[in-house]
Amino acid sequence: MLPVLFSAMEFVLVQTLNGISYGLLLFMLSSGLTLVFSLMGVLNFAHASFYMLGAYFAYQVSAKFGFWPALVVAPLLVGAVGMLVERWGLRTVHKYGHVAELLFTFGLAYLIEEAVHLIWGRLAVEYRVPAELDGPLFHIMGSQYPIYRGFMMLVSVTMLVSIWLALTRTRIGLVIQAALTHPQTVEALGHNVPRVFMLVFGGGAALAGLAGVIGGNAFVTEPGMAAAVGPIIFVIVVVGGMGSLAGAFVASLLIGCLQTFAVSLDWSLGGITVSQAAPVLPYLLMVLLLIFRPKGLMGTREG
Amino acid sequence: MTAALELREVHKSFGTTKIISGVSLAIPAGERHAIIGPNGAGKSTLYNLISGRYPLSEGRILLNGEDITGLRPFEINRKGLSRSFQVTNIFHRLSVYENIRCAVLWSLGYRYSFWHRIGGLRDAQHRSLEVMERIGLARRRDTPAGELTYAEQRALEIGITIAGGASVILLDEPTAGMSRTETAQAVELVRQVTEGRTLVMVEHDMGVVFNLADRISVLVYGEIIATGTPEEIRANAAVQEAYLGTLHKEAANA
Amino acid sequence: MRYQPLNLGRRVLWSATALLFLAAPQVFSASFALTLMTQMGTMIIFALSYNMLLGQGGMLSFGHAVYSGLGAYLSVHALNLAGQGAFPLPLPLLPLVGGLAGLAFGVLFGYVTTRRAGTTFALISLGVGEMVFAGVLMFPGFFGGEAGISTNRVVGQPFLGISFGPAIQVYYLVAVWCFVCMAAMFALTQTPLGRMANAVRDNPERAEFVGYNTQHVRFLQLALSAFFAGVSGALSCINFEIVSAENVSAIRSGGVLLATYIGGVPFFFGPIVGAVVFIFFVVALSGFTKAWLLYLGLFFLLMVLYAPGGIASIILMQIPVIRARRFGELVLPYALAAGAALVALAGLIGIVEMVYRLSEQGANTVLAVLGLSFDARTTPPWLAFGAVLVAGLAALRHAARFVSARWDTIQQSLQARAA
Repeated sequence: MLPVLFSAMEFVLVQTLNGISYGLLLFMLSSGLTLVFSLMGVLNFAHASFYMLGAYFAYQVSAKFGFWPALVVAPLLVGAVGMLVERWGLRTVHKYGHVAELLFTFGLAYLIEEAVHLIWGRLAVEYRVPAELDGPLFHIMGSQYPIYRGFMMLVSVTMLVSIWLALTRTRIGLVIQAALTHPQTVEALGHNVPRVFMLVFGGGAALAGLAGVIGGNAFVTEPGMAAAVGPIIFVIVVVGGMGSLAGAFVASLLIGCLQTFAVSLDWSLGGITVSQAAPVLPYLLMVLLLIFRPKGLMGTREG
Repeated sequence: MTAALELREVHKSFGTTKIISGVSLAIPAGERHAIIGPNGAGKSTLYNLISGRYPLSEGRILLNGEDITGLRPFEINRKGLSRSFQVTNIFHRLSVYENIRCAVLWSLGYRYSFWHRIGGLRDAQHRSLEVMERIGLARRRDTPAGELTYAEQRALEIGITIAGGASVILLDEPTAGMSRTETAQAVELVRQVTEGRTLVMVEHDMGVVFNLADRISVLVYGEIIATGTPEEIRANAAVQEAYLGTLHKEAANA
Repeated sequence: MRYQPLNLGRRVLWSATALLFLAAPQVFSASFALTLMTQMGTMIIFALSYNMLLGQGGMLSFGHAVYSGLGAYLSVHALNLAGQGAFPLPLPLLPLVGGLAGLAFGVLFGYVTTRRAGTTFALISLGVGEMVFAGVLMFPGFFGGEAGISTNRVVGQPFLGISFGPAIQVYYLVAVWCFVCMAAMFALTQTPLGRMANAVRDNPERAEFVGYNTQHVRFLQLALSAFFAGVSGALSCINFEIVSAENVSAIRSGGVLLATYIGGVPFFFGPIVGAVVFIFFVVALSGFTKAWLLYLGLFFLLMVLYAPGGIASIILMQIPVIRARRFGELVLPYALAAGAALVALAGLIGIVEMVYRLSEQGANTVLAVLGLSFDARTTPPWLAFGAVLVAGLAALRHAARFVSARWDTIQQSLQARAA
């Protein structure tokens, strides 16, 4: 009796930690998306593509210079790409409306995926966890908890806290917050709002890129990774409520844990195991939420 | 006698900010009623409450004796209340004719039909042409609404509002941004199309108000401080102080 | 953009289209051409159904393949059952089965997805699409897993002596259904629902205030659109004799979006043009280069940036100029711009192909163009193609300004004449 209880507890603890670290990664992605959406009204379909670019850039940089430089350089590179995209692409389509902006980012996602195919080929590349971070962090009951997962959580939390501080405590952060609801007023006060937009979009891209740097070696780095995580991020944003960071946080952890648990359970329901049904679960959650609570968990802004 | 439109102790707060504090108003059928008040008094909010765009915090709204509190805009519209918007709200990619036609479809009973050929619907055609004549846009019938001049768009705005044959019409600053001549034309138009119907109008132009309205209500900080005929309102001290102020002196000296 | 109700004699246009459909295989009789045209016919129905949502209803969907794919699945099962003799089903009626299946799922999913509008609706459609795709892989019994379900279209008795085995007969079946669906979808735009869908697209708030429940309008529009998507799915099933998870994939959904947009969303015939161009890209171009998807994506992006009304808008814009007999003035600017674009394109193609050769393990890095051969691992070809690309882009910039200036002059004088 007791051993069964113990192993169940161990399972729950380990999977919860895994779920939280995955959920925090998802939140890094969905928060960037939500921030850009809240500020500029454009939903960046290519957000997951920036995640992928982060992983691939980190792979290239770490192959030559090691992981730690890559951790800094790769997100900056992705941020630069983001700024270029905003300056030369989004700004042009802005006048055609939100649908055109969304379609532009949709085409961009296509293009980035094909460019990645072109340059790095169709197979996964060997982007590995660095040796110093490979290994057990601590032991829970019988299992090991890997250092890298702890590292992921650390990076996620640090980055998110820094951003929160930057938005609420610095001048540029206040300007951004003001430009969120009153861009014309802010511009009339002398701030360069287009430049602010470019910085925010680049910042969102860099955040996604950072997620790619730390996620790409924990999971897999291949051209399909954007298409694999992209829809999940959008589901999180819809479930949490469009434009709500708190909602995205709750939804990220919820779905992170949901998927982590589901993938490791072998209970059978009507001929299918839970782990087989795992890919469908986030979407089922979204559909159910739509039926009973269409605004999402904490919705604030309609698309 | 049942009022055409009645508000009972209507309150509205956004979060902790109270916008409308206990408005009660009864407008009899066929009356032309104007609501005036300083900017920020809550006139647009009141309209949004009546037409179902926002939910009420407290109170009730009755249309021809029927409680319409909490109903959705299209349900309220189907019961006979129609409104225009301060910021022109038209179907900008459809032509003038099609704009009006969309406004008459439901009232003619076509609902969600996808088996009627719209070109062959004689009644819709007649009604639309009729309305277009009344608002003076018949010669612009095939122009996309987005390409009309500002005054033409305002006229179309009114046209869409009355085309469905609603018995209670809410107009939100129908003459906003118009020149003297355009305003005079608009006033005539409003007078004609609201013949026999109940009109509630938010307006800033005092000339228009005193010209058209049978009775006036004054809304200040979310409360109605006075209701009465134009003469009564002009003479009311509280209203003068809160709103008309210098205007009264000007009018007296004119 | 001025809305032009093409009063160029609608009857003439429709008759000409019918004749075109009839005569095309006689003119383009190669079997490759026949396959291409059959696929174009199916895609036209699919793209037109998609535009019922986007162009007419203002609903951007990233999951439209759900309806065509599920329609295809049910059709393939019906066809197999008919083949086993379970019930008589003449092949020409199979698209009706697909259509009804599409309609059923349109009602089922539409109820949930149309609860929200705009960007949220788009994301929800993506989610539903992913859900269905994952679901299809979860039930291999019904959906055949990754390999899918195959069938044989030559079942039962020949219909009026036609077995539908040969490709030419499949073409005519698709052509007839394509024409009928085109006419039906056009007729739908001329109904109260069709017009209110436009109204809801332009101004959903106002539509509510003229008595319409906008959610219901969008729901009905989606259900009808799903019907036609199901028809196209069934035709695809007949043509390829196999249905797999790819039929409900995000790739298919993205494809029809691209096709419709490239053709031109604001116009009824836009998706028709787009479907033709898209199939040409996908089927014909993919035989020439591995980078065709890259080129397609780039083409789409350029459309979004510079021609949001699609190819149809570009064509329609020329019509007033042609009518005023001033098109001759545009020939030179257009030719120069086209030339510059071709130069830039050559540079781009060179670079892209070289990158591909380098990234693929074991591929031949030596390329041959116009009798010259060069190795992608050396520097000179990179410099050469790079220079060509940059030169082409610079020339294009100037040519574009030339076109723009000439265009403005003509527009001004046309407007002065009209005033």
